[in-house]
Amino acid sequence: FRFKDSLAQDLCEADLVISHAGAGSCLETLEQGKPLVVVINEKLMNNHQLELAKQLNRDGHVLCCNCSTLVDTLQSMDLSTLKPFPPGRPEKFALFLDKVVGFQ
Amino acid sequence: TGGHTTEILRLLSCLSESYSPRHYIFADSDKMSEAKIRSFEQKRAETFSNSQFTLDRIPRSREVRQSWASSVVTTLYSMLYSLPLTYKRKPDVILCNGPGTCVPVCIAALLLGLLGIKRAIIVYIESICRVETLSLSGKILYYFSDYFIVQWPELKEKYPKSIYLGRIV
Repeated sequence: FRFKDSLAQDLCEADLVISHAGAGSCLETLEQGKPLVVVINEKLMNNHQLELAKQLNRDGHVLCCNCSTLVDTLQSMDLSTLKPFPPGRPEKFALFLDKVVGFQ
Repeated sequence: TGGHTTEILRLLSCLSESYSPRHYIFADSDKMSEAKIRSFEQKRAETFSNSQFTLDRIPRSREVRQSWASSVVTTLYSMLYSLPLTYKRKPDVILCNGPGTCVPVCIAALLLGLLGIKRAIIVYIESICRVETLSLSGKILYYFSDYFIVQWPELKEKYPKSIYLGRIV
């Protein structure tokens, strides 16, 4: 398919996700607890988009490769090395804002 | 725009109903945010019966990679819309997270504050995508916001006046 409104269903059913380094794709996949291989194409991307993919890789949440190393990566990868990605905590923001605004 | 809207709605998810009415401002070229916002507010209305919100569009103030000089012009143009709109809504708190749209709104709010008409607390939350560098909106609003929140420790080190609460979206 070319485009869907939501990938949630497909993500739910997947065992492995191979994706570009878009933030939405990465985060949605990690939040569903699926192993993720991020393919980076430095020529096509804004520099800042790489920041998140690289950090997630450093923190051990995703595997990274580029187009030419994808096949090798898939053949030699060990998904058990990937660490779970804890969800963000918007409640911390709510607590902070309540203090700032004076609702306590 | 898309990613920004998703992030800001997550930030709103834990706010109490004291934060009401909610006024959403987004770019006129944005096709997807309205649906996301309505969906969020509809769900919210299931829990909080008196939920109120408004939706407004202003011209998009900058395209990706638009030159600095022309961005100033397009931002000034957006301000022709953001100024009367901010005056009309008179927000107590402004939450923004980085699309170009937030700059004309915040400038309008700052002006209204300087003129003694309405002082808003400006809270800027940089996107989770920003790990090592700030967005252009972030670089500007770092100096003009009341509270500037980053989501990665490296940014907290680079921008000491910022606030780090960990990942919040």
